[in-house]
Amino acid sequence: MTGLDAGGIATSGGVRFLGQRRFYWRLLIRGAVLLAVTLGIYRFWLATDIRRFLWSNTEIAGEALEYTGTALELLLGFLIAIAILVPVYTVIFLAALDLGVIGKLSGMVAFAGLGVLGQYAIYRARRYRLTRTIYRGLRFHQEGSAWNFAFRAVAWWIVTALTFGLAYPFQLASLERYKMRHTFYGNLAGGFAASGFGLFVRGFPMWLMVFAPLALAVTGFTGEVDWKALAETLAQGGDDVMSKIEGSNPGLGSAIVFAMLMCGASITLAALLYPAFQAVVIRWWSSGLCFGDIEVRSLLRIRHVYAAYARFVGYAVLFSIVMGIGGAIILTIVGALSGAGKTAASEIIATLILLAGYVVAALGFSTIYRATVLLSLWQLSMESLTLSGLSSLEKVKATGRPSSAIGEGLADALNVGGY
Amino acid sequence: MNGPVTSGAGIYFDGATSARHEVLVTLAAGTLRISDNNGQPLADWPYGEIEQLAAPDKVLRLGRLHNTALELLEIADVAFAAEIDTRSAYVDRTGALQRRERLSVIAWSVGATLSLLLVAYFGVPAIAARLTPLLPATVERKLGDAVDTQIRGMLDAHKSATAFDCGTTAGEMPGRAALDKIMSRLEAAATLPFVLRTTVVRRNEANAIALPGGRVYVFRGLIDKAENADELAGVIAHEMGHVAHRDGTKAVLQGAGLSFLFGMLLGDFVGGGAVVFAAKSVLQSSYTREAESSADAYGAELMNKAGGDAHALAAILDRIGGATEPGMKILLNHPETKARVAAIRKLAAPRAPAPLLGGDEWSALKHICAGM
Repeated sequence: MTGLDAGGIATSGGVRFLGQRRFYWRLLIRGAVLLAVTLGIYRFWLATDIRRFLWSNTEIAGEALEYTGTALELLLGFLIAIAILVPVYTVIFLAALDLGVIGKLSGMVAFAGLGVLGQYAIYRARRYRLTRTIYRGLRFHQEGSAWNFAFRAVAWWIVTALTFGLAYPFQLASLERYKMRHTFYGNLAGGFAASGFGLFVRGFPMWLMVFAPLALAVTGFTGEVDWKALAETLAQGGDDVMSKIEGSNPGLGSAIVFAMLMCGASITLAALLYPAFQAVVIRWWSSGLCFGDIEVRSLLRIRHVYAAYARFVGYAVLFSIVMGIGGAIILTIVGALSGAGKTAASEIIATLILLAGYVVAALGFSTIYRATVLLSLWQLSMESLTLSGLSSLEKVKATGRPSSAIGEGLADALNVGGY
Repeated sequence: MNGPVTSGAGIYFDGATSARHEVLVTLAAGTLRISDNNGQPLADWPYGEIEQLAAPDKVLRLGRLHNTALELLEIADVAFAAEIDTRSAYVDRTGALQRRERLSVIAWSVGATLSLLLVAYFGVPAIAARLTPLLPATVERKLGDAVDTQIRGMLDAHKSATAFDCGTTAGEMPGRAALDKIMSRLEAAATLPFVLRTTVVRRNEANAIALPGGRVYVFRGLIDKAENADELAGVIAHEMGHVAHRDGTKAVLQGAGLSFLFGMLLGDFVGGGAVVFAAKSVLQSSYTREAESSADAYGAELMNKAGGDAHALAAILDRIGGATEPGMKILLNHPETKARVAAIRKLAAPRAPAPLLGGDEWSALKHICAGM
């Protein structure tokens, strides 16, 4: 090593995650308690704490990222979103009261409108997060039209729904291309090189495994049912419709049982395959990213993602046992205190305890999920990366301005938020 | 080592390019000086303008407050970092500032929650009460029709082959005529903003409901439980109280107000939905209780005016346990009903000389759902 340019960096390098799980657990548990105490207002502070932790502990080629967003920005963005959404919701509410065509169509129009708005919010929220992400003293930023993105996204969702999910890889690729083409690190333009077909090939076997039982169920059902007889029986009506249906369609009962079994099989397979699918998507996605000459490769292993889920299951079982024992003790104490009499007060106390138990359980499971699956996914997907072409990191120039948090607020109010 | 460390190594990014500079940091009297390896100064930061940025555990990362460029200085040496910390007011390695901010967040959000609850308890019903009279009758009628379609869909289980409405067939006509007689007595005594549309329906609960816009459904179960025409008339008079006070519309406005207050502003966390739902139900039942007692008062007065027996309303309420509103059984328990009954008795005029319907008419009304 010469003395000259000792700060220079290698042309290829990795990503390290330095965060301590213990610290993250503490942050999340404190956050969960404060969420309950403040009825959810603390979520802006919790989200900021989480991002600050994840960003600042992610070290790319020797330098850690930095998150400069603040909770107050998120709160303000949320308040602006409320100001925008209140008139929208009022119009939807009034339209739903109309008895004519407007009333009948209002539900669909509102659903479509809020869908587009949700995608708009997702794009704007990404812009906020990027402009609050600092690396080596420079900001990331995002251009492009959020409306353009929103309409593309909704169109793709429709296509994906119509093809039973087969178009999903192409949707991801197309939307990701749009996002990354408009993403910049300083003056370094981003890009997305992975093809939808690549993901399709890897995802198709999983798709088959989930949809094959469903297809079997449908064919079994249509083959077994005498539709004409069924329609006639239903048209006749009367008190004993069920027995009449059984008479005219002897195979219907077993067809229903078969269909239910197959649906169960499909759901089970989907749940079991989900971590593998997630791993495949993350690997495919990160391997497609690039900024200028900097290219990314991911070597994420499927079994590591399964391990993260296994840890979640372990903690969740433990938490359930603790909840069960704690609940039993509290119920016994309350039962002993209130005596045998069933008064209104004891009923109210029982309801309150049930409510508190539900909130604790829900917050507990979500905390465990964040501390195991989400953190591990972040860590695994980061640490599995190798970056090449890093020499261009020496001469990137600053551009881009911080954007407002309206997108985050809208995403929060519409429940489409991410990290 | 003697005395405080006043200089050390750092890594500096100037915020204009991504180039990484290894620098020498010296702590002068009022400022922190950043200079390159040749001793050439790059930046001077007054201690009052230095802020701490999020960083991995073992690194102190500093920025400059209110700086549009994202200048960044990283110090790895712990002793030197501590020295910078003691000199700079906004560098907060112990997290005391953060803790203080968190406490104020908690305090303010508890305050916000309390204020929302107060608005929900006092403000929402007050606003709904003021807004309701401003809504034109045509709007309320439209609202009523919309609610009607929903309610009918919920109530009418399509189980029986006979129509859901009673009083439509030839055998039921005399019952309908008897009901109309009661209705015209009551309507003449009342001055309602709407034309009443009263229908008896085939439901077994002892209940009656009033919708916005003047539609009243009397359930068959109520007619079965009523011992005389005045008892039935009393309940209908109570429902007319809801119509006169436009309680249905008020309830819709109150519900929308609560959904807005709680649904949009609060409870957006996992499990929060249940809290919001519970708070809404409790508040809504408190609104309903008030509406019920003023409808009782209206009903009693109306019975007095129409020459009926207001004590009959008290009697039937006492008997069927006050469950005149669907879904209100838990909160309208016995002490409540006792208080309501007592309040009605206080308002009731001495017993009327003659019942509202003759014996024949009453037995015809009893058979309004006979289905012949």
